[in-house]
Amino acid sequence: MTAATAPRSARPSRPPRSLVGPLALLVFAAITWWAASEEYGLNFDVPRLFSNLTRGAGILAEFWPPDFSVLPRTVAPLLETIQMAVIASVIGCAVALPVAFLASRVTSPNTLAYLLDRGILSVVRALPDVLYALIFVAALSIGPLPGILALILFNISVVAKLLSETVDGVDHGPIEAARATGANRLLTVRWAVLPQVLPNYVAYSLYAFELNVRASAVLGIVGAGGIGNLINETRRFFQYDKLMVVVLEILILVIIIEWVSIWLRRKLV
Amino acid sequence: MTASRPVRPAQRTKHIATALVVLVVAAAAFTVDVKIERLPDLPGALVRIFGRMFLEPAPEWSYLPEAFGSMMESIQIAWLGTIIGAVLSLPLGFFGAKNITSRLVSNIIRQLLNVIRAIPEILVAVVVFIPMVGLGAYPGMLAIGVHSIGTLGKLSAEVIEGIDPGPVEAARAAGGRPVQIQRWGVLPQVLPEIVAFWLYRFEINIRASAILGAVGAGGVGEALVQSLVFRRYDRAGMVVIVVIVVTILIDTASGWLRRRIIQGGGGAPHGADREQPELAEANAAAVQRP
Repeated sequence: MTAATAPRSARPSRPPRSLVGPLALLVFAAITWWAASEEYGLNFDVPRLFSNLTRGAGILAEFWPPDFSVLPRTVAPLLETIQMAVIASVIGCAVALPVAFLASRVTSPNTLAYLLDRGILSVVRALPDVLYALIFVAALSIGPLPGILALILFNISVVAKLLSETVDGVDHGPIEAARATGANRLLTVRWAVLPQVLPNYVAYSLYAFELNVRASAVLGIVGAGGIGNLINETRRFFQYDKLMVVVLEILILVIIIEWVSIWLRRKLV
Repeated sequence: MTASRPVRPAQRTKHIATALVVLVVAAAAFTVDVKIERLPDLPGALVRIFGRMFLEPAPEWSYLPEAFGSMMESIQIAWLGTIIGAVLSLPLGFFGAKNITSRLVSNIIRQLLNVIRAIPEILVAVVVFIPMVGLGAYPGMLAIGVHSIGTLGKLSAEVIEGIDPGPVEAARAAGGRPVQIQRWGVLPQVLPEIVAFWLYRFEINIRASAILGAVGAGGVGEALVQSLVFRRYDRAGMVVIVVIVVTILIDTASGWLRRRIIQGGGGAPHGADREQPELAEANAAAVQRP
């Protein structure tokens, strides 16, 4: 018990200085210089930026007042946006369920399926939804179908990733209990794992739906259906007062969907 | 006397909610303007385009430097945009935390952040910054910066609300001025988690900046649009490969770094929430009140 009887030193000794902090700052500075430099990067220049912004501020005045005469024309595309989000959410979240179970070590039948599923999932995740939409528009021509397909892929990647991580953390007790009764793998997943993660699954699906409404509003910009078409049209002809109406509608839609989703989450989970 | 079963809790609203969901889904499915007769061609069309992108002809390797260069531009846009968002969101995070400012101020800031979050960055670019500063990388960077303020501010405020009040009281007891209390009592507690969120946002913003090229805001999206417009599917294939490989590499590096930052040098392991900002974001959305 020497430690207890030894006289207390006045101050605890300073921990040795770590090089990690300064090194991280150096790396940060280097990347920022690379990104902002004239030679290798975007030629980021604060004074020029501010002169650009102040010069451009006049254009923003053209957005006001909004020209509500465009309103009747926005109804059908807005409905299409919601339809795309709903359909893509249902299909995407349904597919994501088995994909998530394959992507967790707890429920995956074997290592090969696990690794394969995770690999495909990370490749699908790496490409953003609008790039999928671009490719699908090239393949299927314009309309809501390529947009729905792009959103489905997006939903699978988001929900499957979140859910597989939740499955990783489930309580193993029910699984052992199910195995002890002689349940096979599918039955174990159905009765021991699914009930544990179902509330999360519903929450993630609603979260994905919210993201979908936002995404489907812009997919039309690349020709994939919905209200985005109108964004493209109005901005091409510099009808900023009409564009403002579309933007306001999207904003209101997104906020309403968020409320609905929060209400549903409270009722369903 | 037999023990009666516990009464099943009333589930009326749950049934109503479920019925509502089913109704909306059915309505959407039956009214959407997708030509059903074209659905059977769908797999063929997809196989055809992916074949042209990756197999016949093979991706054009001579296009690799150009595709890689535009991907680098996307990364630069994302990096600077994230810095803009981080710098502007940190003070907003403090003002949006109930335990730092009053309930009224924090509510106002939170609502402001919610509105910012609701507007997709591509819309910010199209509506605000492309008209203001013209096409190119600048509007993309600014749009990403502005949109990032929304999520980063909200997550920062939540982290700040979860601090241990001890160090704040100690700083106050030592006679610290308000700014000093924030600097020494709050910031050291929340910085690791907030920096992890910044890194995570950078990962998200790479995808966002890849998208922004589709509206003329620079980066790899523009390369993909150009390839597809000119039906150079071999080039499009190359672009897709570059995007996927670089994104996965950066995600992996950034994810490793985030885990290091959160866990520190062998500190106590935290919950999954802290390691997974995406999970935190989804769960935070779950408890958010309008």
